[in-house]
Amino acid sequence: MSSLLLNPNRAFSPLSRQVLKASFSSLCSISNARILLGSRPTAHRVVGFKPRASRDSFDAEALPESNTKKKSRNNNKKIILFGSTPPPLSEERGGSAGNSSGKPAAEGSSWVFLQRAFKRVLAVLSNLPLAIGEMFTIAALMALGTVIDQGEAPDYYFQKYPEENPVFGFVTWRWVLALGFDHMFTSPVFLGMLILLAASLMACTYTTQIPLVKVARRWSFIHSAETIRKQDFADSLPQASIQDLGIILMGAGYEIFLKGPSLYAFKGMAGRFAPIGVHLAMLLIMAGGTLSAAGSFRGSVTVPQGLNFVVGDVMNPNGVLSFPSQEFDTEVHVNRFYMDYYDSGEVSQFYTDISLYSLDGKELMRKTIRVNDPLRYGGITIYQTDWGFSALQITKNGEGPFNLAMAPLQLNGDKKLFGTFLPTGDADSPNVKGISMLARDLQSIVLYDQEGKFAGVRRPSSKLPIDIDGTRIVIEDAIGSSGLDLKTDPGVPLVYAGFGALMLTTCISYFSHSQIWALQDGTTVIIGGKTNRAMLEFRDEVNRLLDEVPELVTIDKNFNG
Amino acid sequence: MIFTTLEHILTHISFSIISIVITIHLMILLVREIVGLRDSLEKGMIATFFSITGLLVSRWISSGHFPLSNLYESLIFLSCSFSIIHMISKMGNHKNDLSTITAPSTIFTQGFATSGFLTEMHQSAILVPALQSQWLMMHVSMMLLSYAALLCGSLLSVALLVITFRKNIDIFCKGNNFLIKPFFFGEIQYLNEKRSVFKNTSFLSFRNYYKYQLTQRLDYWSYRVISLGFTFLTIGILCGAVWANEAWGSYWNWDPKETWAFITWTIFAIYLHTRTRIHIRSRTNQSLQSMNSALVASIGFLIIWVCYFGINLLGIGLHSYGSFTLTST
Repeated sequence: MSSLLLNPNRAFSPLSRQVLKASFSSLCSISNARILLGSRPTAHRVVGFKPRASRDSFDAEALPESNTKKKSRNNNKKIILFGSTPPPLSEERGGSAGNSSGKPAAEGSSWVFLQRAFKRVLAVLSNLPLAIGEMFTIAALMALGTVIDQGEAPDYYFQKYPEENPVFGFVTWRWVLALGFDHMFTSPVFLGMLILLAASLMACTYTTQIPLVKVARRWSFIHSAETIRKQDFADSLPQASIQDLGIILMGAGYEIFLKGPSLYAFKGMAGRFAPIGVHLAMLLIMAGGTLSAAGSFRGSVTVPQGLNFVVGDVMNPNGVLSFPSQEFDTEVHVNRFYMDYYDSGEVSQFYTDISLYSLDGKELMRKTIRVNDPLRYGGITIYQTDWGFSALQITKNGEGPFNLAMAPLQLNGDKKLFGTFLPTGDADSPNVKGISMLARDLQSIVLYDQEGKFAGVRRPSSKLPIDIDGTRIVIEDAIGSSGLDLKTDPGVPLVYAGFGALMLTTCISYFSHSQIWALQDGTTVIIGGKTNRAMLEFRDEVNRLLDEVPELVTIDKNFNG
Repeated sequence: MIFTTLEHILTHISFSIISIVITIHLMILLVREIVGLRDSLEKGMIATFFSITGLLVSRWISSGHFPLSNLYESLIFLSCSFSIIHMISKMGNHKNDLSTITAPSTIFTQGFATSGFLTEMHQSAILVPALQSQWLMMHVSMMLLSYAALLCGSLLSVALLVITFRKNIDIFCKGNNFLIKPFFFGEIQYLNEKRSVFKNTSFLSFRNYYKYQLTQRLDYWSYRVISLGFTFLTIGILCGAVWANEAWGSYWNWDPKETWAFITWTIFAIYLHTRTRIHIRSRTNQSLQSMNSALVASIGFLIIWVCYFGINLLGIGLHSYGSFTLTST
C-alpha cells in the first residue's frame, strides 16, 4: 500500500489510459478518479506534517502579487521550487534539529561536534569541483601510468630517468620510485585518489541526489499563471480546454493529474533516478574490485601433455582475504594439448583437454578448453593462455621411441623457437657432434646435420623418415605443453552486478524527465514546462502536441474547466 | 575473387559519392543555396551509408568473421557509424548542425582508410585465437559507435569554442562570415534578405542574436550527442571487461588501450558533470559554463584519438592485434 501511496500514477495509469482511449465521454469520471487517487497521498502528507504552512502557500500562490509577509514569501518560493506538498527536507531538518537539540543533554557536546564535523566533511566531499578535480587527477595518473613503463626493475628507472638529465627538467627516478609510479595502478597515490573519489560519490549521492529525487517524486500543481509562465518553456493557447490538452499529453506518454482548472503532467521520471543508480553501480564495481584485489588467488603453470598437477600447488594468494577453499585439493590432468591451424600455417586456436580428479581419483569434470572458453569449477577458473614445446618423440635407426626434451631458445611473445639436439656417435667424447632440430610450432621440425647444414623439414604427422649422416630418424610425435592460468576471484559476481547496473542506468540516464503544468484561465490554457536534459526536443515535442489541441470554435460562456 | 571485386567497386562508389556530397556542401556554402541540391545531399549520404554497409557485409561474408579485426576495417566501420549518426540526426527532423560534422568526418575516415597508408591491411586478416568470440561484435562495434558519436559531439564543442573566440578577436572581419555560414544552411537565405534591409542599423545585433542562438544550439546538441556516445562507451568498455574475463583471465588488466578508454570515459564523465548546473539563468554565467564544458569536450576529442589511434600505432599491450598470435599476460 505504501508504494501505491507514493506512486499512485504508476499503478493505475495503464488502465485509465485504455479507458480514455476507449471513450472520450468518460474523461470526466476518470479525471475525478485521478483526483481521488492523486489527492490521497497529498492529503495524507499535508495532514501528517504541516497543514497550515502548505495551505498558506496555496493561497499565496493563487495570489502571487499580494503583499504577504516576508516570511511566507520565502516559504512560498521554496514550495514553488520544490513542489507544493511539504518537502521531506523540512521534515528531515526538523528531525535532525530535534536530534541535535535532544542529544547534547544526554551525551554532551562531543557528539554534536562529531556530527558537525561529519556534516562539514560531507559538504566538502560532495562539492562538484572537487569531484571533477579528482576525476581529472585520476585520468592524469592513468595517462602517466601508460607513459611510464610499469613493473620494471629499479635499474631500468635509474637509466631511463637519470638524475643528471631529468625529463622535463625535474622528473628523476627518485620521483618515480618514491611516488610508486613504477607500479602506478597499485600505488598509494592512485588508490588514495580512487578512495577519495568513492567517498565523493557516496557523499554526493547522499547529500545532493537523494534529496533531489525526493523533491522530484512529489507531483504538484501550480495554481499561479505567473509561475507557469516563468518555466523554461511557456505558451498559452486561446480557446482551448485543459481536458483536451490532458488527453493529448496522455497520448504522448505523459502521466496526467487533473484537478479543477490545473493540470500537472510528467514523463521519464526514471531519468531522474538513473544518475543515483550510476553512482551506486560505480560504488558496487569499486567494492567488487577491492574484493577481487584482496581475496583472489592466481596461478600460472605450464603442463606437458599427459601430466597433472594439484590446483592448490600453483595458486598464490593475492591479498589479505585470500583463503583457500576445499576445491584447491583437486588434481588437474592435461589429457591432450593441440592446436588448430589456418591454411596459411598460422595458429587459429589452442585446445587443452582437461580432466579434474578429486584426490581419491574420481573424475569430477572433463572439458576441452580454448582461448575464450575457460573451465569453471567451484570458483576456480582455468584459462588457456600460453603454449610450449615439451618434447619430441623420435625413433633412431628403428630404435626407440626416445623422448628428446625441447629447450626454449627464444620466447619473444609469439615468436617462439624451440630446439633439441640428438648426439650421434660417442656421447662421452669432448666435442659431441649430432643432429640439431629446431621448431617454431608443433607442425614442422627443421633438421640440421652435424656440420650445421640444413638437412630437411619433417612434419610429425607424416612419419616420413629422414637420413642424416647415415642415421635414419623418424619423428613420431611432437608433445606440446599447455600454458594454463588459474584464478579464483570472489569479486566477480559483485563487479558483474555493478556492470549490469551501470549499463542499464547509463542508458536510462539518457532520457530526460519532463514536467508540464497547465492552468485553465477562462478559455485560455496557460502551459509551462521544463525538462532536465533534452530541452530542444522537449520544446519541439510540446509545440507539436499543442498544435494538436483542438480550438473551441464557439465560445461557451458557461465553460468551467 | 568476386568479393574482392565487389569490395573494390563499393569502396570507389562510397568514396565518389561522399566526395560529391562534400563538393555540393562547398558549393552551397560558397556560391548560393539551391533547394534541389539539398535533397540530393541527403540522398547522397544515404547512398554512402548503403555502399559502406555493403562493403562491410561483403567482407563479412568473404572472411567468415565479423569485419572488425584490424585498423582498416575499424576505420571503415567508423565512417559507417558517422553516416548512421548523420541519418539518425536527420530522422529526428530537428534543426541541428550535425550534418556539417558528419559528412566531412566520413570523407576523412574513408579517405584515410582507402589511402596508401594502410594498403597492406586491406587484405582481410585472419582472426587470432583471442578474438574468436561473440563478444568481438558487441565490444568493438559499440566502441566504434561511441567513438563516432563522441567525436561528432566534441567537434560541435570545438566549433562552439572557435565561434565564441572569433567573436572576441575580430567581430568585423569579413572572414567571420565564412566561418559561421556553414552552420547556417537553413537561415542563410533569411539572413541575406535581412542584411539588405538592416544593412547599417541593426545588422550587428542580428548577427549577435544569431550567433547566440547558434552557440546555444551547438552547446545543446554536443551535449546530447556526447551523452549518447557516453552511453555507448560505457556499454562498450563493460562488454570488453566481461570479454577480458573470458579470454585473459581478469576483467581489468590496466592494458594501455583499456586505460585510455577509461581515461576517455572519465573525461566525458567530467564533461557531463560540468553540465549539471546549467540551470543558471544569467546569460554570462551560462555561456561561461558552456565554454568550460566545451573545453573539456575538446580535450576529450584529442584523447579519443590517442585512445583509438595512438595506442594502436605504438603497438603496445594486449590490444595490439595484427602481429601476434597468442595473448601473453
